[in-house]
Amino acid sequence: MTGPLQATTLPETLSGLLGLNTNDPLQWFLAALIASALVGTLMLTNTALVIWAKRKITAAFTDRIAINRVGPFGLLIIVADAVRLLSKELIVPDEVDRPAYDLAPLVLASSALLGFAVIPMGNGIQIADPETGLAYVFAVASLASLGLVMAGYASNNKYSFLGSLRAVAQNLAYEIPLVLTGVSVVIFAGTLRLSEIVAAQSETLFTLGGLAIPSWYAFVNPFAFVLFMAANLAEVGRNPFDIPEAPNEIVAGYMTEYSSVYFVLLYLGEFIHVFLGAAIVTTLFLGGPAGPVLPGIVWFLIKIWAVFLFTQWTRSAVPRVRIDQLIEIGWKGMLVLSIANLVLTAVIVGVLV
Amino acid sequence: MSLEEPRDAKPEIGVTDDGLDYDALAALLGDTLLDREDHVTTEGFVVRPDDVQDALRTLKQEAGFDHCSCVTAQEYQDRYESIYHLKKYDDPTHELSVVVPTSRDDPVSQSANDVYRTADWHEREAYDLVGIEYEDHPDMRRILLPETWQGHPLGRDYDQTQPQVVTLREHANPLQEDHMADDTDTMFINVGPHHPATHGVLHLKTVLDGEQVADVEPDIGYLHRCEEQLCQQCTYRHQIMPYPDRWDYTANLINEWSYARAAETLADIDVPEYAQVLRTMSAELSRMAGHFLALGTFALDVYGEFTAIFQYAFRDREIAQDILEDLTGQRMMHNYFRLGGVVWDLPNPREEFFEKTRDFLDDLPAKLDEYHDMITSNEIFQVRCVNTGVLEPDVAKEYGATGPVARGSGIDYDLRRDDPYGYYPELDWDVVTEDGCDNYARVLVRMQEVEESAKIVEQCLDLLEDWPEDERTLQSNVPRTIKPEPDTEIYSAIENAKGELGIYIRSDGTDKPARFKIRSPSFSNLQALPEMSNGEYVADLIATLGSLDIILGEVDR
Amino acid sequence: MIGILKGMATTMKHALDGETFTVEYPDTAPDVSPRFRGVHKFSQERCIWCRQCENVCPNDTIQIVTDEQRNGEQYNLHIGQCIYCRLCEEVCPVDAILLTQNFEFTADTKDELAYNKEQLKNVPWYKDIDPLESREPDRGAWIGEGEGEIDYQ
Ligand code: SF4
Ligand code: SF4
Repeated sequence: MTGPLQATTLPETLSGLLGLNTNDPLQWFLAALIASALVGTLMLTNTALVIWAKRKITAAFTDRIAINRVGPFGLLIIVADAVRLLSKELIVPDEVDRPAYDLAPLVLASSALLGFAVIPMGNGIQIADPETGLAYVFAVASLASLGLVMAGYASNNKYSFLGSLRAVAQNLAYEIPLVLTGVSVVIFAGTLRLSEIVAAQSETLFTLGGLAIPSWYAFVNPFAFVLFMAANLAEVGRNPFDIPEAPNEIVAGYMTEYSSVYFVLLYLGEFIHVFLGAAIVTTLFLGGPAGPVLPGIVWFLIKIWAVFLFTQWTRSAVPRVRIDQLIEIGWKGMLVLSIANLVLTAVIVGVLV
Repeated sequence: MSLEEPRDAKPEIGVTDDGLDYDALAALLGDTLLDREDHVTTEGFVVRPDDVQDALRTLKQEAGFDHCSCVTAQEYQDRYESIYHLKKYDDPTHELSVVVPTSRDDPVSQSANDVYRTADWHEREAYDLVGIEYEDHPDMRRILLPETWQGHPLGRDYDQTQPQVVTLREHANPLQEDHMADDTDTMFINVGPHHPATHGVLHLKTVLDGEQVADVEPDIGYLHRCEEQLCQQCTYRHQIMPYPDRWDYTANLINEWSYARAAETLADIDVPEYAQVLRTMSAELSRMAGHFLALGTFALDVYGEFTAIFQYAFRDREIAQDILEDLTGQRMMHNYFRLGGVVWDLPNPREEFFEKTRDFLDDLPAKLDEYHDMITSNEIFQVRCVNTGVLEPDVAKEYGATGPVARGSGIDYDLRRDDPYGYYPELDWDVVTEDGCDNYARVLVRMQEVEESAKIVEQCLDLLEDWPEDERTLQSNVPRTIKPEPDTEIYSAIENAKGELGIYIRSDGTDKPARFKIRSPSFSNLQALPEMSNGEYVADLIATLGSLDIILGEVDR
Repeated sequence: MIGILKGMATTMKHALDGETFTVEYPDTAPDVSPRFRGVHKFSQERCIWCRQCENVCPNDTIQIVTDEQRNGEQYNLHIGQCIYCRLCEEVCPVDAILLTQNFEFTADTKDELAYNKEQLKNVPWYKDIDPLESREPDRGAWIGEGEGEIDYQ
């Protein structure tokens, strides 16, 4: 573990609280475990909330009322749905490729959760703050593609197969612009360490009528922000880039053959992934947990939910593109733009600094 | 009007100022013609079973009958008969039936598939239900019933109680037909019968080459409900009318008109003007409801399942349905028409009804703008839909496509204007055509047709409002039982929301039809799907299917 | 890009205006129009056992059993098979069979939907709407009868 440069990480705070010795690997491990459990629970709670929020949001866009029967505002639907989904029969089709079929949901869900280990969520909630934080996040986030391929290939279903192939093609096409755009932020901040990227954004960009506008990279380089948001939509497979699932075309893509617990895992994994994407956007472009009055963690949650809301919004109004168009946008559009953005950023930073 | 080629160069044989000169047509066929029959709206030319192609080709090429609307097959006591109902896209009042009798022992007749591509499915249906076989047919298989079905249900000696052996191949591998042979790169995939995008139970046997469609073959019949036979067992006077609502179950009311028109012409029944206005108005409201649904489901296919457009479309469809409910008493299965009129006048108080309907019409432009904002002006939607699912006008005619599908390909064909009925000729409205031939054009046509329908409804409302109170006759005097003369035959069609909905009735002197045949527009339109989507992407296949706006209840009947 | 943004603006407008067009069924019973056709109600007192309804029904939903003197014994109607075309009501000369506005019916098996005359008699009115009054059926065209007050129970 790297030593604390600026802020203390969550395991360290916990060790301090519980009186554990950070130099004893075993005790350090215990502290890290507790910290991970806390963050994991937080994120999973978030995702569980999606079950409710997603329906409410979609309903708002479509002029409907949506769930309001179970509990206040229908919130208890989360419990009811969880019980319902978990108690369903787990149907494993014939001739599926067993270990891969079983592992895929786990890979998908855990890869996204792993990413949160390095995200600074404010109030010292950050499990680890390695020097290569950003690279790590991108790396684990793209592990999900592996999960998708496993799911699709192991399911012994042509729709699943098509879905997973689409997912791979899509992730290949969009990961590169995503990372390249992320790198432009790194050039600004001069570091890969996420906490430092956040810190770099806390300076005031300019003051507008007494209101200090922080130098969030979304304001510094709005072009990169838009590019990153778009690539991120593709990366997490939301409209208009939700073609790996595209229920009208290929039923449910890689999810087709999954039921019960496995389905829950895939479903949750997908949303954790959306949140991880949102968290990366927040960290790189929206100043991380920074914000006035409210504590950092609250701001952090507000920001990732805002990004989530955006994904739902596009879902209500933007058509799905076709696979060939998607690849074209990725390789011919986004890639070129992101390289241009990178070069430009480099030049600007080189000239200014 | 755009597509009418200058025809002066080669005048069609048999065309006179006031219709068709059947003698000239008969002369054209010469020796091939065996006999001439009198049908109610047209004449039947009887030809020998091995002259079918020659006769049809002559009629198509030299007399301009480019639209094979329908093929009706039936069995008489002594013979089988296939009737090809021919029309012209330029003027559908020019009709001709080509009657092909075949012997009972050896019911084989030449296939018309080489002349009209659309005959393919029609003849398969004739084989399936009646039992006539067609020579030279590319694919003589059953189409509606399962392959293992025994007997031909509309044949005379069919035993209804006979148990059917439908093999339950429980352990058969459903993927057996898989084209994943070693030497090809294609993959066979079943889209449907249960698939989110087939809008009902339709099965597309699709062969994919990567993401592209190498071949697609629609497999229909999952929703076959023996509607023709049902109608054959019902009396003309009342019992048939509830059934047409169930054919195209998204724009129900218009279908009733098809039966009403056929039976009223057959039995020579007048319809009071007032009832015609009511019919016209309610039919157009129903068309609007159908088009809203088509728009909404098409949005589902292109946008994804969380699109708001679907809900908005349903919201508007709901209003149209509410109005129809006030008028007819039911939201979908109206049973509002009666032979010789309609069952009810506007609900009391009339002002309330006028107000409600006018509100709906007044809100419509704003709503359509909203749709245009969300659909047609969306750039991604445009890249998805422009130039996909292309149906050239020639091909469309070959397949007998009608309705918005044909009009989206620039074919100016609308029976409401070309073969007028109801109150349409008196009203001021336009036929919408688009020359795009693609999915986008079809969407545009539907959206504009909603506007045109609104215009018609508006005018009908004005008429109804000013109609003198003592002239509001709803039904003419119709006897309680209707028994048309034996062996009268009629084929007549109306324009429903999907296209030309035709009814063929042959009477045998009883109060029930001896043969009742439904020509459904979706059936013909769907047949063009392979032509439109081969070589396209899977996503476009789905979009194309959506833009055809087929209703399986109507395809399978 | 403009088109996409316009679409997104439209959905956002709908999200923010807070209007909904769905109703909370069954808490709020939906309004049905006075002409709406629901489950039948039958009055044995009025019926003259003329069997017209049985004859006109397109799909043999009504089954009437009478004794030798043509006195009615049974009147069965399968409300699950019925297509709610209202022809039976239209032909009945004495308004003995009526379609109420009631569309809410359930059963565990299909057979339970075959109502006998007692069950048909007990079908409740929907929101106390008397269907005949609201529909004003134009009976003159057929039989010129059936006007006047109806007294069921
Ligand atoms: S409503 Fe129609 S189907 Fe139902 S019982 Fe009456 S006549 Fe028969
Ligand atoms: S038509 Fe009316 S009176 Fe005649 S049997 Fe039926 S319910 Fe009774």
